[in-house]
Amino acid sequence: MIVKTELKKLKRSGYFLTFLSGALLAAAFPVINMAARSESYTALPGDPFHILLDACWQIMAMLNILLIVCGACMMYHTEYAENGIRKMESLPVYQGSLFFGKFVIAAAASALALLPEFLSAALCALHWFPGYRIDFKELAGYYGFGVLTLLPTIMLMLAIASFCRNMWISLGIGVILVFSLSIFPQNRLFFMLCPFCTPYRLLGPVLEEGSLALFIGVCAAEAVAFGIIECIMIKVRRYFS
Amino acid sequence: MNYLTLVCVELKKIRHSKILLILLAPVVIMWLPSLVNSGVSFTTYGIPITPEHNFFIQGFMGMVWFMIPATLIICTVLLSQTERADNGILKMLALPINRGILCLAKFTVLLILPVIQMFMAFGTYYICAFAASKLQDYSFMLEPSYVLCAIAKFYLAALPMAAVYWMITVLIRTPVFAVGIGLACAVPSVLMINTKYWFLDPMSYPFYVLMTEYGKAAKGIYETSIDWIPWLPTAILITAVCLILSCIKFGQAETR
Repeated sequence: MIVKTELKKLKRSGYFLTFLSGALLAAAFPVINMAARSESYTALPGDPFHILLDACWQIMAMLNILLIVCGACMMYHTEYAENGIRKMESLPVYQGSLFFGKFVIAAAASALALLPEFLSAALCALHWFPGYRIDFKELAGYYGFGVLTLLPTIMLMLAIASFCRNMWISLGIGVILVFSLSIFPQNRLFFMLCPFCTPYRLLGPVLEEGSLALFIGVCAAEAVAFGIIECIMIKVRRYFS
Repeated sequence: MNYLTLVCVELKKIRHSKILLILLAPVVIMWLPSLVNSGVSFTTYGIPITPEHNFFIQGFMGMVWFMIPATLIICTVLLSQTERADNGILKMLALPINRGILCLAKFTVLLILPVIQMFMAFGTYYICAFAASKLQDYSFMLEPSYVLCAIAKFYLAALPMAAVYWMITVLIRTPVFAVGIGLACAVPSVLMINTKYWFLDPMSYPFYVLMTEYGKAAKGIYETSIDWIPWLPTAILITAVCLILSCIKFGQAETR
């Protein structure tokens, strides 16, 4: 029920169009990269799909994270802009369910956005590397891992957006987090496991390091922890507003 | 009301917006890893650069590539959203003021906020360089004239970008699109500066200036002098077109 209401709210806010265009932009990235300088990649040894993702994923993941930041700010901006959230608060609905409804939509939109990105990387490999066959099992694994690593970021960003009445503050905090976590040393395991950092990781290198179970566990735990923090904050905030 | 009064009014409006905190946070965060890893400045991977220049340029790289565009986007959101709430913009437009001048006053505020951030970056750089010098027992401090001059160049190179972002905010009324387009444009600049057509992308100008500074400090990394000829006319043209368009379109949707 609540998801349906949330979907209706977002219908005319441009949310889905933003996700669609962001996903297409990220998906276009490997195509442009290969069209511009394919010879520097086709000569490399190894699996074509891995070569392509190694070359492009940093930028694609950054676009995904920015999309999440932008989307989360927008979701709560529609509530705060005309005091819609006050009306929601007066309804006999648990406030947390509002948040989790938004989370379900944001997660679904991000999952859908990842689909064309991985597909375009696979199709690029098919087109530019002769003799490459798409391994659908591997593709599904990469996709599933990609969606999972986005979840803590979505949860944290939505929680930040729900605390800040003004969009520029939530956007500012989000952008600062994206920026500062991308410049911290990426070879330390602690920073790799932070939200806003996990989306940069791909399944291949994680499997090589043998830390797949760790990544899955930490991502799930972070997402749940931020959800619980949000539920507590909803209760705490009532005393201040 | 003349232009200067309007700028003062706009500055008053954002007094309680906490924007200064948001400007300060990335500047401080940016220098912390540099300070902790200041020893890395000595390993230059065979690039002929002095450790103090390495420290300065590596520290500013993230800021110039990502933080300047992001700050400008946050400031445009601040300037447009403070007045959307409770229809404040309608009250401003009902006053006997030229809309174009009002638009330019807001744009001036958009230019003042990064100046403040640049001074913050200047101060934080010296604090961190001083601390790193004590830590590593090696002087990382560059002359203030060089540092000020470099920061001023980054800032001036960011002006066309500010005009583009301001135009996007004025033309696109849905905030999610304006922010999304702005952020998406900022990301590929790291690739654009390696192509021949970098001068067509205003988001890559500050990064280009930083890379020429890098080229000057370390021979053979990048070009050592700025190509003024295709750049300057293009930059002026982009800025002028964006400003004229935003002045024409400013407030049109509200007054219709």
